[in-house]
Amino acid sequence: MNSAALRDDRLVDLLVKQTTEGVTPEEQVEIERLFASYPDSDRDEMARTAAALALAGNFAEEPLPQGLRDRLQTDAARWIAMRESKVTDLAERREARAATSAGDTRSAATPARWQWLAVAACLVLAITGWWPRLRDLANQQQADVREPQPEVSAPAPVEPTPAQSREQLLARGRVVSAAWSNTEDPASRGVSGDVVWDNATQTGYMRFSGLAPNDPSQSQYQLWIFDAKQDDRYPIDGGVFDIPAGATEVVVPIKAKIGVREPAMFAVTIERPGGVVVSGREHIVTLAKAAAG
Amino acid sequence: MAEPVLKRIAHGDSRAVAQCIDEFGGLVWALARRLTRTRADAEDAVQEIFTDIWRSAGRFDPSQGSEKVFITTIARRRLIDRLRRAKQEPATESTDVLDLVGWSDPGSRGEICVEAERAAQAVAQLRPDQQKVLQLGILNGLTHSEIAAATGMPLGTVKTNMRRGLIQVRELMSVFVDERGEVRS
Repeated sequence: MNSAALRDDRLVDLLVKQTTEGVTPEEQVEIERLFASYPDSDRDEMARTAAALALAGNFAEEPLPQGLRDRLQTDAARWIAMRESKVTDLAERREARAATSAGDTRSAATPARWQWLAVAACLVLAITGWWPRLRDLANQQQADVREPQPEVSAPAPVEPTPAQSREQLLARGRVVSAAWSNTEDPASRGVSGDVVWDNATQTGYMRFSGLAPNDPSQSQYQLWIFDAKQDDRYPIDGGVFDIPAGATEVVVPIKAKIGVREPAMFAVTIERPGGVVVSGREHIVTLAKAAAG
Repeated sequence: MAEPVLKRIAHGDSRAVAQCIDEFGGLVWALARRLTRTRADAEDAVQEIFTDIWRSAGRFDPSQGSEKVFITTIARRRLIDRLRRAKQEPATESTDVLDLVGWSDPGSRGEICVEAERAAQAVAQLRPDQQKVLQLGILNGLTHSEIAAATGMPLGTVKTNMRRGLIQVRELMSVFVDERGEVRS
């Protein structure tokens, strides 16, 4: 943190609160907004000072309980499998973008998707042999692989529209829902709508009115999901999307890149084409604080 | 010198993910035990913290501090967040029965990491009321209001002591680095 940031009383107050007793999601957004005025700041310096102090206490490290150690090793195997698939997914997205920009109208993503699903399935099957506790995950992945292989003679299913899927999701009940609220960003003016999310199936939809159409070659909208079980600074990527010109109401499916455990807030930002891994949060267009339905 | 385990995780070394549990499990568990209400809560927190650590490993920068400080920063953030939410529920344990952790003597934390030793030296130079506020807040996870109740200090004084104490420790730790010309490990 540089000296200029240290003279910002409000920012320092928030950082002390963040470091000692925690901040609300709204205060976290305020911290990000204030830090935008100090681009050269070391944002974690206060937290590192507190961490060093925490290590200066007269306590001793304690051995992990065996049951917890076992669960951590299971978590580690699951995380490694997820990371492998995510790396391949990123490559797939880049490939798809390249194909799109080259004017290729075929589904460029399909071969890559099959490749990573096959790799993920093999990996998970291998892990399952060693680690019975991962069977649920393995079964899910195998189902994912088998699912898109329809009989040759079967009639093509009619895909419901996102709006219809949203209605079906709402009809099932037990969804998290929230209305979009406006921010100080100029692009937020007149935006309304809502977001619905079903944690059980990890599916959800955003509905927008008044969100300005974007030129996908210049910028795209990106959803971020703040998970109460995760660090607020690293919200989950909920996917990039576009708003077509002339649309009055748009329903967009949510594509969370990793599992969402307890959605607390949804935020939409404007990012470069293809989206970003970590948002600079310069343009937060709209926010929705979750409430269980 | 061996590559830090966090760097290896960031570079895709799967064995380093499990090794991280061996190296830092005891530290994270001790931190969680101090800043959670129940053993079950501490175990849940440790699982969340390690997922955060693996995911954040790519951000570890040895020039900014040691792996222990990086990991403690992540662990504290997660634990404070859980405490904040837990304290919105009725308390199950009053602060006067908590086993409070105090400060180590300067010169005794060098084996943990160099920053812990510098912090112990820095905190020893603060006024007693600042030391007390930092002790209750940083080491024991009490909120500003709880510190005010436990010490009898007005809430505003607690906040001021916390803010000035943290900034002073930060400055003193920088001075120790400058005076000794050390590279952080």
